[in-house]
Amino acid sequence: MSAAYTPQPLTQQTLHPEDEGPFPDLAQTQPRHKTAALTLVSRATQIKERGLLLLFFACAIVAVLGVVLIFAFVAYQASGVFPNIGFLKFITGTKWSVAHSQFGVVPFIVGSVVVTIGALAIGAPLAIMTALFLSEVAGPRARAVIRPAVELLAGIPSVVYGFFGVTVVAPLVARLFGGAGFGPLTAWIVLSIMIVPTIAMLSEDALDSIPMGIREASFAMGATQWQTIYKVVLPAAKIGIIDAVILGMGRAIGETMAVLMIVGNAPQMFAGLTKPIATLTSQIVLGMSYAADDFRTALFGMAALLFLISMCLVLIVRLLSRTGKEG
Amino acid sequence: MRSVRPAVALLLALMLTGALGLSGCTKGSTDIVVSGSTTVEPIAEVAGEDYAKAHPGVSVLVSGLGSSAGIEAVGVTRTADIGTSSRDLKDNEKKLGLEVIPIAHDGIAVVVNPANPVRNLTLAQLRDIYAGKITNWKEVGGDDVPITLVNRDESSGTRDAFTKFVMGDTAFNLDAVVLPGTGQVREVIRRTKGAVGYISEGFVNGQVRALAVDGITPSPANIASEKYPLSRKLYFLVRKDLSPEAQGYVDYVLSDAIQEGAVREAGYLPVNPKGGPRK
Repeated sequence: MSAAYTPQPLTQQTLHPEDEGPFPDLAQTQPRHKTAALTLVSRATQIKERGLLLLFFACAIVAVLGVVLIFAFVAYQASGVFPNIGFLKFITGTKWSVAHSQFGVVPFIVGSVVVTIGALAIGAPLAIMTALFLSEVAGPRARAVIRPAVELLAGIPSVVYGFFGVTVVAPLVARLFGGAGFGPLTAWIVLSIMIVPTIAMLSEDALDSIPMGIREASFAMGATQWQTIYKVVLPAAKIGIIDAVILGMGRAIGETMAVLMIVGNAPQMFAGLTKPIATLTSQIVLGMSYAADDFRTALFGMAALLFLISMCLVLIVRLLSRTGKEG
Repeated sequence: MRSVRPAVALLLALMLTGALGLSGCTKGSTDIVVSGSTTVEPIAEVAGEDYAKAHPGVSVLVSGLGSSAGIEAVGVTRTADIGTSSRDLKDNEKKLGLEVIPIAHDGIAVVVNPANPVRNLTLAQLRDIYAGKITNWKEVGGDDVPITLVNRDESSGTRDAFTKFVMGDTAFNLDAVVLPGTGQVREVIRRTKGAVGYISEGFVNGQVRALAVDGITPSPANIASEKYPLSRKLYFLVRKDLSPEAQGYVDYVLSDAIQEGAVREAGYLPVNPKGGPRK
């Protein structure tokens, strides 16, 4: 991930071998005389080299093929939405009832959006401030404790988060606000913790890539540490931090297992923070095991929607990084 | 050289899979096909595995397609040896000449928090509660506590049965919390004072209280006699030309090993309980 923010030395070496890189000796012996060097080694080595390069290429292709195949499959399965359900009925319908063949997905889109925005509203500030602390404030000892802790947070399986939500957060919400404790509020609390590592780690990379000289210049002008952070460092790392938040958003909107366990799964419009709702992901999982015909098509339609949303998010990140580099 | 070795490996792998597939086809001399209700599926599967283990050469294939599909598979298309159903035969299905073998009793208990003073609901009250017309326990003689509805997901056989017994054509209140498992329903009701839910009687424990419906408690005796309104039987349906292997499987399902084992574990009651009804 850090490569995205400190790409200069790498790209220079690989794309422009004729430039004198930071390590001129290396640049001379390896990239420039690549073909000449290869003629000196045996044929077997040459074949091995080619073979390994092909292997790397094949591995890279697997990822591309995976995306293409999954998208084609989902799109194909979802295409039935148009003739069988009606695209408008599907995308603008507010009623979901399998028994009555009503497949309006607006409640789930609203549910996904509500859950995601809330999780970001709590999780993003938490994560960015964590990143600021790690990058700007913390000493080596504090960093040695906090960073692994945040990284561990990323490694916890989502079903464990869900379990935590069901057994700790939901009863707490139930005690404070009544009801059974399932709903957006519970999902916000759990999801905001889940997205902290994504946003914090990427933001920290962005902050670390800001040259020390900028901070030193700011201190030299008489700025305090806080002034340096919010007037100099934050604006400089802005694009990277926005990237991080968008990727965190992708994690929140796509999260399934934990959400399924705590959101209440009621196929109704968002009506309050403690009223159960459902999201696109949770509804797909609940229905998948027994769905048939139009119901199945509708679920694939919802999957296609999710796919489009995450594609848009990735696109935004790419556009942002490009403008960020030019500016 | 470098392209030959993977090709050989691939060929070998293909041949191996082919060989495995073939051996699978030729070895299993007898298949018993069991098809139908998803409610019966867990019992049929456990019994099938045990039976196949005890009888080499026999394999039991269980699929859950729904009761109607099961009755059709055994009676009309004859693609199954045994059909399973969680409902009685309809009039046109009775003409198929199938033998109906009850294999378990199922009663759906309406459960509330133990702190709830309500002990009984009528079927009509239960329907109004789940339709969202009654929203406070004081309307049915309880405390002034809002009712928190707990429902099951639509793939649940228990929800199917509850819909049939209680709701009829009335729609569920969408505000209900939908939980994908019996254990979760029980847990949420244990910790939520105003909650109401439904689970198979066999899963009722001390954490929740089962209500009487129309004045009849969901005791094993009342479920076996179907006096309790939310009770039903689970059936095997077989043709007269049942193969000896399939007959052996049916007998095994009715034996104590399965009746006191898999049937009870699935939350149902045995058809002929050892030493009379439990409790």
